[in-house]
Amino acid sequence: MKKSRLGLMLTVVALAMILATTYLALYFAPLPQTSVGAADQILSSVEGSKIRVAGFVSELIYASNPIISDSHVQIFALADFTDYSRFAEARAHGQLSERWWTINPLVVEVALDELAGYSGPYPPFSLGMNLSAEGKIIYGLLTPNSTVFDHFLTVCSFDKVEVGAGPGEFGLVTAPVAQKIFYFHMPSAWVSYLAFFVTLVGSALYLKTRNAKYDRLAHSSAELGVLFATIAITTGPVWAKQEWGVYWRWDDTKLVTTFILWLVYIGYLSLRAAVPEHGTRARVSAVYGILGFVTVPMSLLSSRIAPLLRSSHPQVIATSRGGLSPEAGLTIGIAVIAFTLLFAAMLIKRVEIAESEEELEELKRVVGGEE
Amino acid sequence: MTNSWLALYIAYSIVWIGVFGYLAYMYLRQRRIEKDIRALKEEVSKHGK
Repeated sequence: MKKSRLGLMLTVVALAMILATTYLALYFAPLPQTSVGAADQILSSVEGSKIRVAGFVSELIYASNPIISDSHVQIFALADFTDYSRFAEARAHGQLSERWWTINPLVVEVALDELAGYSGPYPPFSLGMNLSAEGKIIYGLLTPNSTVFDHFLTVCSFDKVEVGAGPGEFGLVTAPVAQKIFYFHMPSAWVSYLAFFVTLVGSALYLKTRNAKYDRLAHSSAELGVLFATIAITTGPVWAKQEWGVYWRWDDTKLVTTFILWLVYIGYLSLRAAVPEHGTRARVSAVYGILGFVTVPMSLLSSRIAPLLRSSHPQVIATSRGGLSPEAGLTIGIAVIAFTLLFAAMLIKRVEIAESEEELEELKRVVGGEE
Repeated sequence: MTNSWLALYIAYSIVWIGVFGYLAYMYLRQRRIEKDIRALKEEVSKHGK
């Protein structure tokens, strides 16, 4: 009885928090800055596209780069995604008519001798200076040094560069609002990993103690894990369509490993449904629950070693530097807590149902035996 | 409404439908089980008498 009340209370609190997250995500939190062209194959497909950028000079790089060979003024635009207060965004035209590029912040390098009329000390830009330019993308590739999110390097050849122009010159544009899917997609994925971990622990404890309550825990948690993994795996493509232009990419390691993870736990539930005898079912599924967990780190880590495995899935948790803006951090923090509480509440309820199911099975056996 | 907004609403709907759908499923499942248990218990007690 107490457990039921706790579960109900947790459910109400979690749902209220998820409602709050919905409001915060829509009206308070900024767009999480993930890169549109994080994958080099996408970037290479847009080489030659026209590009317009407007932003602030936030860092200067003095090194030259052999990639540049165009006769125009040349600028490196390195997506950094660590400074959310000062961002520049670019919209590519032509092949990318409906896709937004987020370049944040601009890191610029200018080939001094090619900047017509300039005779001052190198470089002609200063930090904080407004900058706007238009030109074309001549080269794009995925860089291996991902930090907060995927980094990508876009080498642009600009026909026209205006230093000190107001950022309104070309209009600062926003990334697709669909980016806010992140505030639900990521917590769903997190809870599914957590649920499968609980299944692992429950399975191991069952094999050790042969106590049926651990089997119920493992089963209930796996079912919830599949629910949240399904939410993550269906909201992801909705975002991908807006960002990448396609719903799914079979060459993306993160997507494929997560799909395998989902299939493995669908298999776990199918296995349980297929074995009628209680003891055998619990034993076999416990072994499966332990072995199946190997797909969780595979899915979890695949975007972190993206340069090796080619994944353009955004890397969410900050690594060496940077992170989310405070507003985004608060929103995602509330969302993660809300989903975790909801998972806990659902797990309590689901275990309770599993107990009732066993009681029902037992009663059926008794009645069947009497007949 | 732009495609991007539509995508956002679709994704949020998936989350809410998924969560509420599963909660409703659990509620109905529990009600059915409790009903079955009550019926079987009555049957067992009748046979006992």
